[in-house]
Amino acid sequence: MISVTVVALTSLLYFGILFGVAYYADRRRKLGRSLIDNPSVYSLSLAVYCTSWTFYGSVGRAATTGIDFLAIYLGPTLIAFSWWFLLRKIVRVSKEQNIASIADFVSSRYGKSSLLGAVVTIFAVLGIMPYIALQLKAVARTFDLLVYPLTNGSIMHVLPKFDLHFDSALVVAMILAVFGIIFGARHLDASERHEGLVAAIALESVVKIIAFVAAGLFVTYGLFDGFSEIFSDFLIRFPERSHLLMLGTGENSYAHWLTMTIISMMAIMFLPRQFHIMVVENCREEHIRSAMWRFPAYMVVINLFVLPIALGGLLLANGDTHNADFFVITLPLQYGQPWLALLVFLGGFSASAGMVMVSSVALSTMILNHLLIPVILKFHTGAMNLSALLINLKRLGIIAVIFLGYLYYRLLGESAALVNIGLISFVAATQFAPAVIGGLYWRQATRRGATTGLILGFFVWFYTLLVPSFVQTGWIDTSIIEQGLWGLSILKPTALFGLTGFDLWTHALFWTMFVNLGSYLAISLVTTPSTEELEQIPKFVDVFKPAPVTTEKTRITRAPTIIEFVDLMAKFIGQKQAHTAISDYLGNREIDEKGGLSEHELPKLKRFTELTLAGSVGVAPARIIVDKYLSARGSHMEDVFDLFGSVNISRTASREQLSVLYDAARAIASGKNLQSILDEILKIFTDQFKFDLCVIRILDEDRQTLTVRSQRGMTSEHFGESERDLTTDTFIGEPFLTNNVTLVNDSDFISKPKTAHIIRREKILSFAHAPISIEGQPVGVLSAFSRTAKGIFSNEFSELFLNLAGQVGIAWRNAQQTDRLIAAREQPRELAIAKDIQLGLLPTGTPEVIGIRLGGLCIPAKEVGGDYYDYLLHDDGRLDLVIADVSGHNVGAALIMAETRTMIRSRKEHFNTPQDLLCELNQFFYEDLTRAELFITLFYLQYSPDTHQIVYASAGHSPTLLWQAKLQQCIRLDPEGLIIGVKEDFPYEQESLKLEVGDALLLYTDGLIEAENDQNELFGEERLTDLFSEQCHLPPQEMINYIVDQVRLFSGHNNFQDDVSLVVMQVKPE
Amino acid sequence: MKTERKLPLKDAWVIWFVLGVVMLNYPFLHIFNKDVLIFGIPLTVLYFYIGWPVSIFVIYLFSVYLGSHTDEHSPENVMKDNPPGGAT
Repeated sequence: MISVTVVALTSLLYFGILFGVAYYADRRRKLGRSLIDNPSVYSLSLAVYCTSWTFYGSVGRAATTGIDFLAIYLGPTLIAFSWWFLLRKIVRVSKEQNIASIADFVSSRYGKSSLLGAVVTIFAVLGIMPYIALQLKAVARTFDLLVYPLTNGSIMHVLPKFDLHFDSALVVAMILAVFGIIFGARHLDASERHEGLVAAIALESVVKIIAFVAAGLFVTYGLFDGFSEIFSDFLIRFPERSHLLMLGTGENSYAHWLTMTIISMMAIMFLPRQFHIMVVENCREEHIRSAMWRFPAYMVVINLFVLPIALGGLLLANGDTHNADFFVITLPLQYGQPWLALLVFLGGFSASAGMVMVSSVALSTMILNHLLIPVILKFHTGAMNLSALLINLKRLGIIAVIFLGYLYYRLLGESAALVNIGLISFVAATQFAPAVIGGLYWRQATRRGATTGLILGFFVWFYTLLVPSFVQTGWIDTSIIEQGLWGLSILKPTALFGLTGFDLWTHALFWTMFVNLGSYLAISLVTTPSTEELEQIPKFVDVFKPAPVTTEKTRITRAPTIIEFVDLMAKFIGQKQAHTAISDYLGNREIDEKGGLSEHELPKLKRFTELTLAGSVGVAPARIIVDKYLSARGSHMEDVFDLFGSVNISRTASREQLSVLYDAARAIASGKNLQSILDEILKIFTDQFKFDLCVIRILDEDRQTLTVRSQRGMTSEHFGESERDLTTDTFIGEPFLTNNVTLVNDSDFISKPKTAHIIRREKILSFAHAPISIEGQPVGVLSAFSRTAKGIFSNEFSELFLNLAGQVGIAWRNAQQTDRLIAAREQPRELAIAKDIQLGLLPTGTPEVIGIRLGGLCIPAKEVGGDYYDYLLHDDGRLDLVIADVSGHNVGAALIMAETRTMIRSRKEHFNTPQDLLCELNQFFYEDLTRAELFITLFYLQYSPDTHQIVYASAGHSPTLLWQAKLQQCIRLDPEGLIIGVKEDFPYEQESLKLEVGDALLLYTDGLIEAENDQNELFGEERLTDLFSEQCHLPPQEMINYIVDQVRLFSGHNNFQDDVSLVVMQVKPE
Repeated sequence: MKTERKLPLKDAWVIWFVLGVVMLNYPFLHIFNKDVLIFGIPLTVLYFYIGWPVSIFVIYLFSVYLGSHTDEHSPENVMKDNPPGGAT
């Protein structure tokens, strides 16, 4: 028995030495003379693999189940063969991508997937929890063993389980948490490397091996007479336990052996702490070469005495395996070597502490980068400097990880042996193998494959390993093991789908790998990598291939300056670190006279910034931050950039300010309607700065008042909704009229009485108004009010506020332009409708009149025209033909045309002659036409079938052609008459004529004869007359078509410049 | 290195790795898994006590070979150092 004081003081002294070493290593690093930059330290630090499980658990395992514990160390030896290729490749990739954890590695390989990073993190935490519990259990138990007297090899006094005041495991957890923070999270490091921690781990590895070998030598040569005596004595005394020294017996089946080998191979590579020490903390790739044999050699030495101690312990304890886990400490205690026991305690403590420190640091980095930062980025709290928040979260993460382990120990740890707890974690680490190794060598591997594989693998891991361990503790009823889930025997956790005959570990490894690897391969084969994944594949798979000489040549438009990158980095890693980083990066790179890099250097600088940030916030968040920042400045996402480019962001703008402006720009670029955009901008603004009320008022030009267009916050109707006159008497009118920001930081001192009473009534403490302007012209006012704080509007804020108001202005202008565009686009639609209506007004057929044949056609030049023709049949059998042309080709012309038609149709029975009609039309339309600056030409002809007499009148219209068959000549019918709408009272004339059989009439509008060819020649009346004379024998409709075709041929165009209308009437032979 | 024939490194490690896995597993292990004592030590245990260091010795030779045959011109073997001391 050793007094508590001695144990405590020795431990304290040991802590002091460890801390001293760590501090010294950190100091050396700062001086540029690294303490850990040598292969021995690297190899020793890898021995963090040997935890208290090795230290105590191996002996316990050897004493109870035999030599299968060796597989846990032979596996790593075998995989060490591959290190020069596999581990070096992982290290190379990780250095180049500045990867800070295994979650970063997996997430980065599969397109910097945030989801995958989170999945790996959650599973790593779940998977490692039991392992941390194991360490706490070991230290707590050995502490108890040391300070309480032993009787017959059993502890006399065990502390009450939940008496927290005396709970040694809790004390150990607290001490280790402090250790973790001191060594792993004193400050945020851009590269996530902790030289002090590594140095302390290396020292601990030395202490462990010395302590264990000392205990081994004491037992083997102090208590016994060497190896052979122990083995011989054991076999003589316990011949029934000879299976402990053989394989392929009972529990130690060959399958079990193979399983142990495989999971230990994977655990040494992919346990988060191993990945951290081997990859993240690696100084030089060259160190791997010697670690390949030094580390296995360390394991041989530390395992050399496991069997002698185990068998010796069994011999001395009369075969009692009760305390076999702690033979290494109880034997020296029992046989009068308390100081050796204390050394062993320190060795065991070193083993535990090393593991817990590295694991907690690695896991807290993962939690921070993959679980917390994405959330922080989403709802960032408004803190100006994130670096302080990040480091505290990391410290909290370390504490949380260790205390989760403590919780597991308290709830489950007492019931299971050390080795069993550890193996659960090993199988968990094995789940990362397909995604990592596949990602390094297999191009086809996709994010979906990796995610599915991991999730399914961990699900099965939980079911086949954790569930049975819960059953063991009594948490879950044993029926699930005996009968399976829901009584389905194929769902027994230890005999899934009827797979029996294997031990727990082989069974679990088989099923987890079956689903994990299976779905990883299958889904990868059927899915295709995304663009982002494709970008990452060569960085992993081809990391050893020479890089192409011309790397990224993409231009960043509107090149950001170096200072901007430094500012960005400083926001996350602090000013000093950012400057150190940039000066390291720039080195002897050439800088142009403006302090900028060449444009092809910029993508590299961008990449560097991303990598530097990745060290403190993780790969995926770093990319988001840099991209967001750059796009905010405008490298891609042109729309947002254009909007963003219109605001002046000073270099001192905080992330929050940038974020507000960026989000606002994104809202504007979203293409939603104006109201949604304005609402969205106010939402972003109020959410960020926690204002009680924000209002956007826009000038109503008609009433010359500022009208509320969007409001967010307080619902005081009178306050928010009321309009404001444009006067400098109000705080809202002033910024509009002066085009300046108005800030009132304390409403107790306001000068405008008109506003004062409203402000006081609503208990507003401070407020600000900024003019919303478009190209310098104010169109409205953006206002923010706070009821909670005075003095919040700084000059910096004023800049942001003005920028934001500017963005509102852009949104307003965009919306107006859009409205105009829509209006312009809708016009043709209106015209098309008008055209439909207008065409509907033209006769759809020809009336049947005895003795004549009729035909007509109207071809509008544009969508609507002013041409009109009609056949009107009187009750007494007379037929009226009318053809008219309203000047212009717009809707107005069409309306007049429609009106003319209505007028003629309704009035046709009320007047007797064409002359009367023209007079009445002229009187009726005169005012309308004058006002509309339009006029009408019209030809009106009345035919009496009985007499074959025609009476006609013209209002300035093109003459009608008459083919006289009898005389074989063509004459013009062109009575005098002024255009309608020129003179109010005009006496129109009319003429009459008798038609003969075979005569034909052609009424047309001027569009026909004014058709022009490329030589600017008009088709002309002469050509028309000739054509008409030649073809007058054709049926009317055919004749019309023929004439139109000929005119088209003449002009060389299919379309007419003007509306073209024709009506033909033929007198049939009787 | 004149015209000395180079050992294809990747092939070599795969061979040694596979050999190692085979020699430390069933059925190879079964040969030595006998209830016999040699120098007072059970054969199985002795096999591990000797076989294990031997395999490490092979890795050692391999690493020595790597150290002396690193072809500086091959990108595959160019040492990529991440010198500590400088904050990145």
